[in-house]
Amino acid sequence: MAAVVAQALVNGLLIGGIYALVSIGVTLIFGVVKIVNFAQGEFVMIGMYISYWLAARVGLDPVASLVVSMPVLFAVGVLLQRFLIRRVLGLGDMPQIFLTFALSLLLINLALLLFTADYRTVDTSYSESAIHIGPVYVGVARLIAFGLAMLLSGALEVFLRATDLGKAMRAAAQNRDVAMLMGVNPEHVFSMAVGLSLALAGAAGSLIMPFYSVYPGVGQVFVLLAFVAVVLGTMGNVRGALIASLMMGMAESLGIQFVGADSGLIVVFAVLLLTLAIRPSGLFGRQTR
Amino acid sequence: MMRRLRPSAAMGLTVAALALVLLPQIVSNPFAVDIFIRVLLFAFIGVAWNLLGGYAKQLSLGHAAFFGLGAYTSTILLIRYGVSPWIGIVAGGVVAMLASLPIGALCFRLRGAYFAIATIATAQVLMLLFLKFRNFAWGAEGTTIPNLGNSPWMMQFDAKAAYYYIALVLLAIGLAITSWVERSWMGYYLVALGEDQDAAEAVGVNVPRIKRHIYLISAFLTGLAGTFYVQYIYFIDPNTVFNFNVSVEAALVSIVGGIGTLWGPVVGTVLLEPTSALVQSWLGGTHGGVQLTLYAVILMAVILWRPTGLLGVLTGAYERMVGAASGGTPATTSAVRKGAPLDG
Amino acid sequence: MGEVLAVHGLSKRFGGLRAVQDLSFSVGEGQTVALIGPNGAGKTTCFNLITGYYRPDAGAILAFGQDLVGLRPYAVCARGLARTFQVVRPFGKMTVLANVMTGALLRDKHLQVARGRAREAIEFVGLSAKQDRLACDLNAIDQRRLELARALATEPRLLLLDEVIAGLNPAETDQAVALVGQLSRRGLTIVIVEHVMRAIMAVAQHIVVLNHGQKIAEGGPKDIAADPRVISAYLGSSYSHA
Repeated sequence: MAAVVAQALVNGLLIGGIYALVSIGVTLIFGVVKIVNFAQGEFVMIGMYISYWLAARVGLDPVASLVVSMPVLFAVGVLLQRFLIRRVLGLGDMPQIFLTFALSLLLINLALLLFTADYRTVDTSYSESAIHIGPVYVGVARLIAFGLAMLLSGALEVFLRATDLGKAMRAAAQNRDVAMLMGVNPEHVFSMAVGLSLALAGAAGSLIMPFYSVYPGVGQVFVLLAFVAVVLGTMGNVRGALIASLMMGMAESLGIQFVGADSGLIVVFAVLLLTLAIRPSGLFGRQTR
Repeated sequence: MMRRLRPSAAMGLTVAALALVLLPQIVSNPFAVDIFIRVLLFAFIGVAWNLLGGYAKQLSLGHAAFFGLGAYTSTILLIRYGVSPWIGIVAGGVVAMLASLPIGALCFRLRGAYFAIATIATAQVLMLLFLKFRNFAWGAEGTTIPNLGNSPWMMQFDAKAAYYYIALVLLAIGLAITSWVERSWMGYYLVALGEDQDAAEAVGVNVPRIKRHIYLISAFLTGLAGTFYVQYIYFIDPNTVFNFNVSVEAALVSIVGGIGTLWGPVVGTVLLEPTSALVQSWLGGTHGGVQLTLYAVILMAVILWRPTGLLGVLTGAYERMVGAASGGTPATTSAVRKGAPLDG
Repeated sequence: MGEVLAVHGLSKRFGGLRAVQDLSFSVGEGQTVALIGPNGAGKTTCFNLITGYYRPDAGAILAFGQDLVGLRPYAVCARGLARTFQVVRPFGKMTVLANVMTGALLRDKHLQVARGRAREAIEFVGLSAKQDRLACDLNAIDQRRLELARALATEPRLLLLDEVIAGLNPAETDQAVALVGQLSRRGLTIVIVEHVMRAIMAVAQHIVVLNHGQKIAEGGPKDIAADPRVISAYLGSSYSHA
C-alpha cells in the first residue's frame, strides 16, 4: 500500500514539474502585466506541435527541440504583447479577459482546422523505459522532463533575483508607477515577461511530447490546472506557483490512483473550491480582512 | 417608474413587436424558423447573462451550469415523475436559482478573470457529476425526450411556430426584467458595483447581497432556457447542456452586441447566430472548428476595436441618419433616459 | 459633547510592516480633527481600518457608541460614516448625477427622492452645471468634488476626508476650505487627512500626528505647530518659529 502511494506521489511530483512551467508563466504575466492569459495552455500546445513536427520531419528528439520551441514562443510572446495585449491594457477586466479568451478559442480551432482532432505522439527510444528507485518506477522521459522543468524554473528564479531586467520585472509587478519613476520601461518589461512566460509554456510542451499526445484541446487541461495552482500559490507569486503546482500534481495523481481514472479533474476542482472557501488569498497571500 | 418613450421610438418598438409576432406566419421554411428560434433563445440567454456580466461586470463563463441544471430538472421530473414541462421549466429555474447561492458564495471570493475561471470550474464539475450520475440522470449517453406527438400540455408541438412563440415570450420576459432592473435603484447599484466594487461599498451599496440577488435572477432565467432547449431538441446529455460553448455564447452575444445595455444581447445574437448557422451549414460537417474560429475572430475584432460592443456604433449610425433626415440634433436613446445611469 | 468616534489601541500589520501601532484617539461631536503625518505614516490605513476595508489585528473602533470592527464598508456607511478616497474612484461610465444618486439611494430607495437629494449635494460642491456629464470626462478637481458630493449624499454624521486638498491651487484650496467649514457649521463631524498646512490650520480644532503608524503628538493647532517632535518629523523649518 505504501508503495502504491509512493508511486502515485512520485508520478504526481514529476508531472507537477510540468504544471509548474505553465503556472509560473501564468503567474508571471499576471504579476507583471496584470492580466490573466487564458491562452497559456494553447502555447503549450503550440510547443507540442512544433516538437511533433520537428520529430516527424527531422527526427529531432522533442527534448532537444526545446532550443527551437522556446525561442519561437518567446518571439510569439513579444509580438503578442506588442500587438494585442498592449491595446487592452488599462481598459478594465472585460476586454483583457476576453482578448486572451478569444485568442485561446482562435488557436484551438485553428489547430483543429489545420491538424484535425487526431491525437499525435512522438515515440522516442526512452519513451517506455523506466528506472527503479526503491519500490518506485520512475519513467525516464518524465524524469528528464521534471529535471529540465526544475532547471528552467530555477533559471527563471535566478533571472528574477539577480539580473537588472528581472528586478525591473519584479518592481513593475509590485508597483508599476514607482518602477516607471525609477526608469523602468514598462513596455520593454512587459514584452520580456510575456516572452519568457510563453517560452516556458513552449518548453513544457516540448518536454512532455515523449510521453503525452498532442491534440488541439490539450492545452485546456493544463491551463485549468495551472490556474488553480496560481490561485493556490497566491496570484503573482512565482515560487508559490511552483510549490502549488507540485502539490496539485501529487493531489491529482492520488485522485487518479484512489478515486478513478477521470477523477483527476475533480480533484483539481476540489482543491480550487477548498482554497476559495478557506483561504482565498492563497497559501502565501496577505489576509487584509 | 416608467419613463415615457419618444413617440417615434414607441412606434418603432410596436412595429418591430408586430413583425416579430407575425414572422412565423409569413416565413414557413423550417430551416429559417429554426434560426429564428435559436436567435430568440440565445438572445434570451444573453439577456440573462447580461444582468450579471454586463451591468454588474461579474464575467461568468460558467452559465452552462444553470442551463444544464434547468434542463435536467425538468427532464427528470418529466421522465421519472410524469410532470409537465410547464411546471418543470419553473422548477428548473428554481433549482438553477438555488444552485447560484453556493456557487456564488464560493466564486464571488475571487474577482475578474479568476472569478471567470471559478465559474468555468463549477460548470465543468457539474458536467463531470452528471456524466457519472447513471441512476438518476442517464449518465454520459443522456436520453431522448419521449415523443408524445402534439401535446401542448407537455410542451411538445408539431408546429415549429409554437416553439418560436415560447422563445419570444421568454425573451420578452428577460427584456422586461432587464428594463425594470435598469430603471430601478438596483440598476444604479449594479452599474456602480460593476464600475468599482470597493467605491460602491463606500457609499453603502451592499455589494455581496446585490451580487447574490442578481445572480439568482440570472441563474433562474438561464435555467428556463435550458428546459426550453431540451424540449425543443428532444434530447439531453451532459455534454450538450453543460457545454462550455453555451457559456461562451451567453457571454459573447452581450459583449459583441453591447455589454450592459438592454438591446445589446439581441443585437449580438442577431449578428452571430445566423452567421454561424450559415457557416455551419456551408462548412460545418467537414471542418470542425469553423464556427468557433469565426466567433473568436469576431470577438477579438470587437475587443480591439469597440470593447463596449457594437450597440454604440449602431446608435451612433442611427443618430447620424436621423440627424441628417430631420436636420436637427436628435435625442439619442440615452437622452430619453436623462438622469438614468446608463449611456446608450 | 459626545464622542462620535473613538479608536483604542488600533494595530494593523502587513507582513513585516507595522502600518498602524497601538493608535488611540477620539473625536467629539461636531469637531473637525486633522490626521497628519509624513507619507507612509499610516493615515490612509487608519481610514481603511475605520471604514471596514481592513480588519485590525488588535484594538477597538467605536462610532456613535457602536463597535465597528468586523463590519463591511457598506455597513459602516449605513451607520453614518462616509469617506472619500485619496485617489478618487468615480463610477466612470455613470453621469455625475447618477454617481451621487447611488450614494443618496442608501437612505431612500425612491428614485425621485434620491435624485432630489443628489441634486442638493451636487449644488453644494458646485457641480450643478456638469451633472449630466460622464464622471470619466471630468477633470481631476471636479472628480474630487464629485467624490465629496457622493459621500455627502449618504447623509453621514461623520465624514472622513482623505487628502481632498492636495494639489489644488490657492484659490481652489480656499474654496475647499470654505466647503469644509460649511459642513462643519452644519454640525457634521469631520476627520480630515491632509498635508496642506494652510488648510489644516484653517479648519481643524484638534490635530493628531502620526509617524510610522504611531501617534507622536496630539493637540490644538498652535501647540502642534510648535511641537518640536512634530516639526522634526514633518512640518519643516518654516513653521518652527510659529
